[in-house]
Amino acid sequence: MAADTTQNAAAQVLPPPRTEVGVIGWMHANLFSSRLNSALTVVSSALLLVILWYGLRWIFWSADWTVVERVGGLFLIGSYNTELACPGQNCFWRPQVSLLLVTALLGMIWGIMGGGVAKRIAILAAVVAALFAFLPYSLDDMGWDVRFLLLANLPSTALGWAVARYTPLGQPRWAVAWGVAVFLITLVLQRGLPNVPGLQPVSVVYWGGLTLNLILAVGGISLSLPIGIALALGRRSNLPVVKLLCVVFIEVFRGVPLITLLFMSQTLVPLAFPENFPQNSLFRAAVVITLFSSAYMAENIRGGLQALHPGQAEAARALGLPGWQTTLLISLPQAIRNVIPAIVGQFIALFKDTSLVYIIGMVDIVEIGRVFISRPEYLASAREMFVFLAVVFWVFCYGMSYVSRHIERNLGVGER
Amino acid sequence: MTTNGHTVTDEEIITCRDVHKWYGNFHALRGVTTSVKKGEVVVIIGPSGSGKSTFIRCINRLEQHQRGDITVDGIELTNDVRNIDAIRRDVGMVFQSFNLFPHLTVMNNITLAPIKVRHLPAKEAEDIAMELLERVGIPEQSDKYPAQLSGGQQQRVAIARALAMQPNIMLFDEPTSALDPEMIKEVLEVMRELAESQMTILAVSHELGFAREVADRIVMFDEGIIVEDQPPDEFFNNPRHERVKHFLSQIL
Repeated sequence: MAADTTQNAAAQVLPPPRTEVGVIGWMHANLFSSRLNSALTVVSSALLLVILWYGLRWIFWSADWTVVERVGGLFLIGSYNTELACPGQNCFWRPQVSLLLVTALLGMIWGIMGGGVAKRIAILAAVVAALFAFLPYSLDDMGWDVRFLLLANLPSTALGWAVARYTPLGQPRWAVAWGVAVFLITLVLQRGLPNVPGLQPVSVVYWGGLTLNLILAVGGISLSLPIGIALALGRRSNLPVVKLLCVVFIEVFRGVPLITLLFMSQTLVPLAFPENFPQNSLFRAAVVITLFSSAYMAENIRGGLQALHPGQAEAARALGLPGWQTTLLISLPQAIRNVIPAIVGQFIALFKDTSLVYIIGMVDIVEIGRVFISRPEYLASAREMFVFLAVVFWVFCYGMSYVSRHIERNLGVGER
Repeated sequence: MTTNGHTVTDEEIITCRDVHKWYGNFHALRGVTTSVKKGEVVVIIGPSGSGKSTFIRCINRLEQHQRGDITVDGIELTNDVRNIDAIRRDVGMVFQSFNLFPHLTVMNNITLAPIKVRHLPAKEAEDIAMELLERVGIPEQSDKYPAQLSGGQQQRVAIARALAMQPNIMLFDEPTSALDPEMIKEVLEVMRELAESQMTILAVSHELGFAREVADRIVMFDEGIIVEDQPPDEFFNNPRHERVKHFLSQIL
């Protein structure tokens, strides 16, 4: 007779053994699950301790951070406020007004989203900006007017938040409109207008510092996504000419290094225009960076489109949706959300690539650092300078990745 | 004429004459001639690769036939885009893999086409959607996303989505083949109710019990042609074709 394996009593629900839960369970599973694992844990802990010991000792004791203090406001705006760029007046207020507009935008987004990531970022930006007002040393002859403008970032954030909460402007499309307006106002403010007192033109060759990196990055990011989408759709088009043009564009811009493209934008492109045609080296650089990034973006998005089940488009067509609506409402939203990590990766790469404009003579934040450490009195401070620059870039890039993680999580509702 | 409890008129709503379709060198449909009357329920069976799915996908032009004529609801299927869109508005389709839009809620899946294609006001489209969800038995799921539903529920949403365009004809392409047994029943129940409401139905399905009870005609495809076209009783009890007997013996 076969052994009776059925149980008469209902199965009992027991708590898991002590080694499977809590801190001990976690350490057991992740740090000491096998002999090899235990050895690796011990060795890497020792290594980590050594690195932390020497690293922290350098940061707090032997490093000399005066170079960072000395460069001060140059990091933010380069030589924008020098006598050469802005003769006879103080132009520092212009980027500061732009900053006020940006914090108002962040406040507005916070008001629309109602908390979460948007809130944290808006508050962080406003507080950091306001804290600059309390720096003991001078940010380029920082007077009380400058400190006052920096402090005004707090009420400006609150104003943006209040507008979003208590007026009909609290809708995503108005935030987008305001974002575009802020970008354009910033460009006009920085460039100045002829014959307007107080707004005398400042040539783009004096634009610099973090402002330059951010202008190039924001412009590039917000335009390379739509251009990339158009190129991706074009490459999948049934029209042979459109398809060919898109393939050629993508392959040319992907196949040439950005540095080469930047050089060509400054040396070759001007030849294509009449001699007295208004030329703007910053604009040409921005176009090249945007198009370069668009080519990569197009391939990311094409990957997302290709991963879609063909049944999605079929179902939409079977419901009578015309082709363009099928693309716009069904294919693209799914494709884009599937490749958000790749898209954000491209945004981050673009932001870091903006520092390459130094090779065409623009003085971005990295180049400012490089110029300073080549002065005899700061020769010994190269380490401090580059660590500081690394932290600045890391903050912005990690910010993008942080926001994208939250967007992914929010969009992931009900996803496979 | 009344069969299986529903009324079939004499008006032909789908007419196919000598339809041919090639995929590259593969001759998938090799001269299909048949017609479907308004209110009729036709179940299509046949071995895999016999062209049955290709055939019903030709009826709303998800596939293009290369020779012969297909006329649906008085409109001939040509490359004229206006005709194709007009027919697709009139012909609902349900797929084997549901093909719900995963980024939209159940409600938005159903109201999308009525709002965008029929230009209904959102409120009206939502009322219709709610009625349909009640008809398929899942009104409480309207705010969920497709991935949060079981397979049977997803397929019922897909049926509601197709019905929201108020089609005259419903096409089903193996609607229960991807489902667990207990879910097959709930989907067939909805299809049965639909058949009783005088909807014209063309269904590719291997649910022979359903075919026997609900269909007016059972059509068997083999190697790109129709080899048998009979009312259920005749089809099961007195098949004329040797290949039908062989096929039935394999799946019964």
